[in-house]
Order: sequence, then C-alpha cells, then structure tokens
Amino acid sequence: MGSRWRPEQLIHLSMKNVFKYGLLLALIGAGIGVYLWNKPFENMDSAKTDVELSASELFTAFADNEAQANEAYLDKVIAVTGKVREVTNSPEGITKVTLDSGDEMFGVICQLDELSDHQRTDFQPGESVTFKGKCTGMLMDVVLVRCVEVE
Amino acid sequence: MQKFFFILFATLLFAGTVNAQKFFTRAGKVTFTSEAPVEKIEAVNQSATAVLDTESNRMEFAILIKAFQFEKALMQEHFNENYMESSTFPKATFKGQIDAAAPANWGKDGTYPVTLSGDMTIHGVTQKLTAPGTITIKGGAIAAQSTFTVAVADYGIEIPSVVAENIAKEVTIAVDVQLAQLNK
Repeated sequence: MGSRWRPEQLIHLSMKNVFKYGLLLALIGAGIGVYLWNKPFENMDSAKTDVELSASELFTAFADNEAQANEAYLDKVIAVTGKVREVTNSPEGITKVTLDSGDEMFGVICQLDELSDHQRTDFQPGESVTFKGKCTGMLMDVVLVRCVEVE
Repeated sequence: MQKFFFILFATLLFAGTVNAQKFFTRAGKVTFTSEAPVEKIEAVNQSATAVLDTESNRMEFAILIKAFQFEKALMQEHFNENYMESSTFPKATFKGQIDAAAPANWGKDGTYPVTLSGDMTIHGVTQKLTAPGTITIKGGAIAAQSTFTVAVADYGIEIPSVVAENIAKEVTIAVDVQLAQLNK
C-alpha cells in the first residue's frame, strides 16, 4: 500500500492535474473571450420594452427636466407612439421617422435599426405609429436609435 | 419650453442683423475612427445637429454619444461605459467661428476651404480646437466637411495600459453635414 503512493508519484499526478485543469481553464477563458468579442447587438425585435409612452410625453419629459429624463430614459428600450411628421432617407439608406411631439419645431426622431429587417419603411405623414428603440437623449429633438416598428 | 429657449437663443444670436440667415440640419454624420497597432475601431453617428449663421459665420454642432453605432456590440459598450461615460455626459458639442476665409457671399456657388476655431466639449471637458474644413455652396444649400484629430487624454479619458495597443491616443473625427435654410 505504502509503496504504491510514493511522494514523487503524487507530485507527478498533481503536476499532470495542474496542466490538465490549467489547459481546461485556458480553453474556457478563450471561449468566453471569443464569445464576448463576437457578442451580437441586442435583437431589437425581441428586446424587452422598459417604458411605453407617447411621443409628446417623452418630449415633454426631456424639455421640462433634461437631467431627470436622462436618468429615467437613457439606454432604455422605449416604445413610443405618435403621429408621423416627417420621414427622411439618407443616401446611405438610413430611414428616420420624426414623430410629432406637440412642439412646433421639434419632435422625437426614430432612427430605424440597420441590423433589423423592417416590414416597411414607407411611413406616411399623419399616420399613427409605434416604434421601439433605444433612447440616446435630446439635442433639439429626442433621438431614439435602433428602432423597429411595433405592430 | 424648448421652443421658447430656441427662439430666445435665436433672437439673441441674431439680434441687430437684418438679413440673418440660419442654416440647419438634424441629420449630420459624424464618424469616429481609432487606428491603433492592433485594431481599427470605427463608429458612425447619423443624428448630429449643426447650425450655421451666415451673418456672423458662427457654427455650432452637437451630438449624442449614445447614437454612435459600432461594428461590434462590445466596442460600443466599452466606448459608452468605460471611456465616454455617456450616461453622465450624453452629449459632445462644438461652438466655433469660421475664420477670415469664410465665403464672402453665401449665396454664391463654390467650394471654400476654411478653418473653424472654437470650444469643443467632450466627456464634460472643454478644450480649444481649430479644425480645417470645406464649405460647399450649391443651389442655396450648404454642405460642410471637416476631419480632425483629438487626443483622448485632453478630454480626461483614460486608456488602461492593457488595451493601449488597441486604442489610439489620438482619434480621428470626420464631420459631414448638409445644411438647409431654416424657415421662420
């Protein structure tokens, strides 16, 4: 019995284990690294809506108290409903829909997501529509990016 | 409220001028490029606002940091959370003056090389900045382009030494705006 468990054998075993588990850990680490590096952007169609409100409510929140609105809405997935005021297409194929906020000059700009498939992009001025997107804050208009239409 | 301030601001800015002309966009394009030995990182913002007053030759730009779209989700996350701290500092602004090379007649078609000098605010830090640019006037519309570099350290942004090979110390900013006359 004693002769079967010689100290050098133990050392040998544990060295082997260290190597084995070390390699395993390194592989897991590399796997996590590759996963994180290639982590996809959040799928906006299936993204959970954090807040639902109208374009005028969202705009008013920012116009009245920007700091507080930043606190409440930045980075949140917001479903915003309003009447289409204007639709613009950039030469690069980016569609932006401005929703009426009740303000004469400024509104809520919804920049359609480049990574999602859209049922349609031909929104008509005057129609009521709901977009889900990420709130980036207010310049003169409130800007939502990565928007998708919510049926 | 917003409108009130805008009108107040516009009135103050243009007080005393008779033919005050304002040109404006809310869909300007700003591209951010970091070229480091290990990797190139690029991001695009399509919602910059820009205002040009052709009377005083003043220009103002503003962008929302969170509206930058990166190629990889992780880059965007690090950019916003670790470097720009965009929840605390959601905007970057530039307020400047076009120098003497500004077009003498803003109604005349042409291409004009200019320099723009003023105050750049990024990450809550304001620095003086002078940038070269090009103004193109065509059929009553005005386009402006500029490419310049900023040192991230100037704006209080620290790059950890672990990723020093991945992120450039000086990043390139390209601005491209198509301005339309603002109707009263």
